[in-house]
Amino acid sequence: MSSVAPEPVVDETVVDDGSAHRESIWAKTVYKLRRDRLGMVGLSVVLLYFIVAIGVWLGIWATEWGDVEGPKWAPMSAEYWFGTNIIGQDVFARAIYSTKTAFEVGLVVAVLSTIIGALLGALAGFFSGTWIDEIILWLKGVLDSIPFYLFVAAVAFALSGNPYAMHIAMVSTFWTTTGRLVRGEVIKLKNFEFVEAARAIGVPQVVIIFRHILPNTFHILLVQATIVFVAAIKSEVILSFLGLGVQDGVSWGLMIAESTQEVLAGFFNNFVWASVFLFGLVMAFNMFSDALQDALDPRKVASE
Amino acid sequence: MSTLLKVVDLKKYFPVRGGMFHRVVAHVKAVDGVSFELEKGRTLGLVGESGCGKSTLGRAVLRLHEPTSGQIILNGDDLMTLNREALTAHRRQMQIIFQDPYASLSPRRTVAQTIQEPLDVHKIGTPREREKKVEELLDVVGLRKQVLSRYPHEFSGGQRQRIGIARSLALNPNFIVADEPVSALDVSVQSQVLNLIARLQREHGISFLFISHDLAVIQHVSDDVGVMYLGRLVELASADDLYRKPRHPYTKALMSAIPVPDPKKKSKRIILGGDVPSPMNPPPGCPFHTRCPDAMPRCKEAVPPRINVGSEDQPHFVDCHLFADESAT
Amino acid sequence: MSSENKTPLLSVRNLVVEFSTRYGPVRAVDDISFDVYPNETVGIVGESGCGKTVTGLTLLQLIPMPPGRIVQGSINFDGRDLTKLSEKEMQEMRGSDISMIFQEPMTALNPVFSVGNQMIDVLRRHKNLTRRQARELAINMLDTVGIPAPRKRIDEYPHQMSGGMRQRVMIAMALSCGPKLLIADEPTTALDVTTQAQVMEQIVKLQDEFHMSMILVTHDLGVVAESCDRAIVMYCGNIIETAAIDDLFHKPQHPYTRGLLDSIPRIREERITELPIIRGMVPDLLHLPDGCRFADRCPRATDECRQDKPVVNIDPVTGNGVACYHPMG
Repeated sequence: MSSVAPEPVVDETVVDDGSAHRESIWAKTVYKLRRDRLGMVGLSVVLLYFIVAIGVWLGIWATEWGDVEGPKWAPMSAEYWFGTNIIGQDVFARAIYSTKTAFEVGLVVAVLSTIIGALLGALAGFFSGTWIDEIILWLKGVLDSIPFYLFVAAVAFALSGNPYAMHIAMVSTFWTTTGRLVRGEVIKLKNFEFVEAARAIGVPQVVIIFRHILPNTFHILLVQATIVFVAAIKSEVILSFLGLGVQDGVSWGLMIAESTQEVLAGFFNNFVWASVFLFGLVMAFNMFSDALQDALDPRKVASE
Repeated sequence: MSTLLKVVDLKKYFPVRGGMFHRVVAHVKAVDGVSFELEKGRTLGLVGESGCGKSTLGRAVLRLHEPTSGQIILNGDDLMTLNREALTAHRRQMQIIFQDPYASLSPRRTVAQTIQEPLDVHKIGTPREREKKVEELLDVVGLRKQVLSRYPHEFSGGQRQRIGIARSLALNPNFIVADEPVSALDVSVQSQVLNLIARLQREHGISFLFISHDLAVIQHVSDDVGVMYLGRLVELASADDLYRKPRHPYTKALMSAIPVPDPKKKSKRIILGGDVPSPMNPPPGCPFHTRCPDAMPRCKEAVPPRINVGSEDQPHFVDCHLFADESAT
Repeated sequence: MSSENKTPLLSVRNLVVEFSTRYGPVRAVDDISFDVYPNETVGIVGESGCGKTVTGLTLLQLIPMPPGRIVQGSINFDGRDLTKLSEKEMQEMRGSDISMIFQEPMTALNPVFSVGNQMIDVLRRHKNLTRRQARELAINMLDTVGIPAPRKRIDEYPHQMSGGMRQRVMIAMALSCGPKLLIADEPTTALDVTTQAQVMEQIVKLQDEFHMSMILVTHDLGVVAESCDRAIVMYCGNIIETAAIDDLFHKPQHPYTRGLLDSIPRIREERITELPIIRGMVPDLLHLPDGCRFADRCPRATDECRQDKPVVNIDPVTGNGVACYHPMG
């Protein structure tokens, strides 16, 4: 080159304040979620249900759900908003109380099956191709191949009298999808250079899984938890209808089960209102879950 | 000067599974019998095109990929004979800098957590001392203290690469594998990071195995240079010697292929025909004979021996039949 | 190739391309003007984010709209303003009068169709040919771009070919309808040096044969020096310098061009310990300074530079121009 070599500039501290990018993936997610109108409607409705459930839990309302106070099959009125059932209980109070039951079942099953799915999925993925992976895949295969209601019935009979038979049955089958998704993601993540970097430092394998890999599957876990939540609520209704579900208290499923005798007699209050409550929550949760999935999709995040 | 690292006949074969029963049907010979020595405080540049096995070699030397066979003697200990615990202890003295600054930092860990992790794992110093060490390291790589609580996605490629370098320096290693550390960066940032690495070497006496596909980058950082082709080292010499007088036909072709940023110097180019053969099924004899402009009948049959075409104290090794008569010893 | 006394084939005037982001609009290309004359090769160089790729894509209206938008400006090609054409007219233009090749040939080729089928499709879309004629022409083109045994390889699928071969196929496809202008966006960046040399040589040879103009978008100044007649240097969406290739490399006017040229690692006679660098980093497109966008990193910057943005003044004799108050001279 004809030009003279310039004086080398001393390497100075290079940092911009980067204010434009100072936000986490979560801030982006929240931003995208808030722009999703359907998702926000869904979330508001879910929150409304949640407040109702909390109120029941604190004993603020629907305390009279078990009282036999009115006449049998009273029509909708100012006193009994949704009428009464076959033995004169207030359908409105029972539908409201069942919201708490639904959240209980949904949360317990969603949280537990997500934890189990995350752990087993991460182990299988990290040790893919080894006997650990084989065993977990085999377990998942077996559980997936048993018809769900048969399995629940079997668990319920095996644990006869245990009020949590339904929960146990659901958790032990619902973790498999989460596990499969996490396994795939972990197989992808474990080849990332940051995992290699951790190995090069000498970080123990267990720590690598929990500190470096699992936190990066959080978006999958969150979406899966919402999906399992809805699935659990829907299954609860069917199981309770079959008599395999909620053992004490009341739920939308039990209300629908009760209504079998009423519908034949031409009284629809129990059936209709339990269904409406169930439909509202499931619909709202699905809308929210879809929006969450879109907002967390890394490809869509990246394109912004 | 004394030898820090001696690698003898290192091989890394990846099994290829196929068929109904998932059996091993073939091997990808990513690294196929590589030997070299690295002296204390020096840099060995490793150059080659994609798929030649240079990155695998870098990882195999650190046992991040478990080598198939061979010896890796670092400071007198053969790493191949160590069990997991002993190897973890040895990781203090050897580190790696990665190519992709976007993939090499845990996205959900802050800069402070990332740089401090090696100190935590090896339980070095009190928590107080560790924090101080992290701040020192930031200073060394040219970043400000304010970045400590930030996450990787808030930084540019060059800054992330500096964070990765700080992490690899945390344990005061005496040997670092730098795997294409600047090839993902823009030109103006590339030179900043190269200068940083050169400075670290001068000031801390760290030995580098510096892997790159870019001959110009390799020349800038290396004392010695090895050229890889299809899993083998085909030429190994001091940088000055190699760039002044490349001997292996592949090295010559590689050098002539680099576009020169000067329109008046149109280089005479040796255009190689064809593509690199698959490492699953490398050609017999010399791996380069299928594309070599100087290939002889002998090249198809016999693997060329390593020949010293330099002097005893300035060796210049080349694996090529063309120089069979020139052996210095 | 001189540019005097000719009408340009392509004439871009005051082009502004904006992308809407959640932080506000970002001008990826901000008021650029340039000409490309028949048979001329123009390089557009710059670092990532400078707007070079967006410029190339905008010429063919291939930027996603929205979020992208051509805010103002005209793109005159062969007497027509491309910004005023309908999508249908544009589709006819693409691949016939103006073709484009991309960095990653694997993503540009459809993996489920054979190479031949894809080429025949393109040919028949733009030309009135029978399938048999189109196939013959395709085989001819594959032969022209240096693919051995084209009659056999035309029925292969993209994954059966190496990176270099795929890029040749892309070139054959791009040239098959005899375009007047070829836009090549980093055509060899994904390839190895030896393959890059093969492919670049082919492109330059074909450009002569087909009498077409070419815009070569790249970050590699070496490639520009070897194959372009003129180059445009972009920084933060602006053109900061344009010059004939010899002038640009031997008498760079803009301090940024100079810095870029100095900081490339190149093979030198004598090794140097410290590479010259450009201080600091590229500013964020959302927070651009008022004056010259390079002022913060420029060793020659004065208050004038920080207040008023310099514009490119083209010298009518040489065709060179620089946007700088204190050019290197």
